[in-house]
Amino acid sequence: MSDAPPKRLLLGPQRPVRNLGDAIAAAGVPDGPLAVISAGWQEAEADTADVAELAGRSLVDLRLYQRAEQLFAADRDLYAAYRERQDRLVALQRLYRRRLKHLSAAARDMLRIEDGSEMVAAEQRHAVAQLRALDRHHLNRVEALYDEFRDAHPPETHPSIAEHRAAIEEAIGGCSAVLITGGNVVVMMNRMRLFGLKRLLEGQHVIAWSAGAMVLAERIVLFHDRTPQGRREPELLAAGACIVPGYVILPDASRRLRLKDKPRVGLYSRRFAPDTCVVLDSGCSMSLRGVDLAGVNGARRIDHDGRIERIRAA
Amino acid sequence: MNPELRKLFRKGAPKSADLERFLEDARFPLVDGSDVTFVYRGDADAVYLRCWIAGLDTAQPFQRLHESDVWAVTIELPKGSRIEYKFEVQKGDDRQLILDPLNDVIAHDPFGANSVCQAAGYRRPRWTRENPDSRRGSIERVTVASKAFNGTREARVYLPARFRDNRRYPLLIVHDGVDYLKFAALETVLDNLIHALEIPPLVVAMIQSPDRLKEYAGDDRHARFLAEELLPTLESDYPLVGEPEARGLMGASFGGVASLHAAWRHPDTFGNLLLQSGSYAFSDIGRHRRGPVFDPVVRFMNEFRENPGQPAAKIYMSCGIYESLIYENRSLLPRLQAQGIDVRFEEARDAHNWENWRDRLRNGLSWLFPGPVWMVYE
Repeated sequence: MSDAPPKRLLLGPQRPVRNLGDAIAAAGVPDGPLAVISAGWQEAEADTADVAELAGRSLVDLRLYQRAEQLFAADRDLYAAYRERQDRLVALQRLYRRRLKHLSAAARDMLRIEDGSEMVAAEQRHAVAQLRALDRHHLNRVEALYDEFRDAHPPETHPSIAEHRAAIEEAIGGCSAVLITGGNVVVMMNRMRLFGLKRLLEGQHVIAWSAGAMVLAERIVLFHDRTPQGRREPELLAAGACIVPGYVILPDASRRLRLKDKPRVGLYSRRFAPDTCVVLDSGCSMSLRGVDLAGVNGARRIDHDGRIERIRAA
Repeated sequence: MNPELRKLFRKGAPKSADLERFLEDARFPLVDGSDVTFVYRGDADAVYLRCWIAGLDTAQPFQRLHESDVWAVTIELPKGSRIEYKFEVQKGDDRQLILDPLNDVIAHDPFGANSVCQAAGYRRPRWTRENPDSRRGSIERVTVASKAFNGTREARVYLPARFRDNRRYPLLIVHDGVDYLKFAALETVLDNLIHALEIPPLVVAMIQSPDRLKEYAGDDRHARFLAEELLPTLESDYPLVGEPEARGLMGASFGGVASLHAAWRHPDTFGNLLLQSGSYAFSDIGRHRRGPVFDPVVRFMNEFRENPGQPAAKIYMSCGIYESLIYENRSLLPRLQAQGIDVRFEEARDAHNWENWRDRLRNGLSWLFPGPVWMVYE
């Protein structure tokens, strides 16, 4: 690896537009096999033949999902501790959701007032600040639970985990970049955390789409306006790997969100500022060198008023 | 009358060939906006439409068209409606209930079959049809020893595709489960909703009572069977989450009563209820008029309305607006909400039948058991 900062290439969903191969070529990712993380596909983790064809590279499957399954089967204490943590996280998320419902509704209610007075603007700022405070509080609580588990089961030294982690590190070392697919972002994040992937990715070129791009950000935000039950409040899930700080990644947002509802969409931008909320649709990409934006192809940002604008590289 | 039919008969009875062509080409019943015209052709002294819609006469007489053997009746049916019906054909002293010979859309139920009228705007939901992309779950049988019923009971247990012992699954127990499988496409619906990530992979236990009008009518033995016999058996045999919020009871008609009753008798056991067209008969004063089979239901419902408690944290209720039970369902809603229960109530332009219950499954299941669609970004 040279001293040049590593490349980070973030893509939208690979359906209907499959731009992985072109984006890799355009970004100048060095030749060589790609280490693939497809844990978000769970049991279908190994079904990566399509990905290899798209990427035009050979793949080395890091098997994070399968490795975790093997670990849990072999180390019941670890599995019990993991389950207990997950139960606590689920309970915490439920409590957060209950509070979030009210604060989000209040903030949106305030933001729909358009009289331009300072009196209203102050109330709007305060309503958004309360929402941001709840997000901060929740993130701290969630990360405390993750830290507690990590302290008890450090991936670098835990007897069951460390062996897998060393194998993963070695596999990554033999590849020119790491490729992270879409899928279930919660599963993906949990498996990456279990094996301490964050540190292993730090110096690597990384290509990621959809859920894979989300886990690289500083914060992971779940969102969907078109579930069978209609709109859901966007929820902060946890901290991401922070490989790509300064962005909240919203894959497929044009399909998943009702972008015409400007007060609702604008709240994303206000709530998660100073991070940029990135609409990353299929066929779109953005690339970074280290943490600096290097190129944008179709990726857009949401502004405070809910407008969707092009992102321009510096 | 339907304009096409009027046109055909504008100069009296049409030629046989014209009539044959019309009957061959048209789709019956004839739908024109909110007017639906039912047509019968045959030798008869009288013909009636039997459609069991609360608010309409149970027998709507057809008119013979111009001394022909064609009979028709038009009713107003709001958009989005779906009703089941039969024709009653009278000839001399003989009266026969028959399916509509001109309509091949049929719904089955435990009593046989009915013709189906799909009004303008109704479409059978796609997720109720088999989807070759959806991985199929499997169904196995479990026998449960029951002291409550002094014998054994059998349940069919749906396991989702890719079922794993090292996962933990939410549990749904379904009353009249075999009927749900046969008449409401429950297995297909589960496969499809799980495939679409709209519900999580679930374990679903389907029970079928040998005497549902008694056992589902607010019977303590049945509540005990569910909470103290079936549930522990399932939790020992399958990897289940084992928390009230990950357990649910479901049922239609008397099955809705049985679900509500069991959750009420055993609070903090079943966190979710999916209740369809529940037979929640009650009386404010004096006797109810629904017949003796409802006596235990009314006893339970009167007691429940007096002391509802907190049978579950979340309840999804649905009811057809063409069934008389809509009034009881509507009146139950504020009682439940007043208890702080998170209730979602859906009214459908349909009646007391299995396809109404089928068509509401997506909303009910995905609300009570939201799936990971929220977490998946492909």
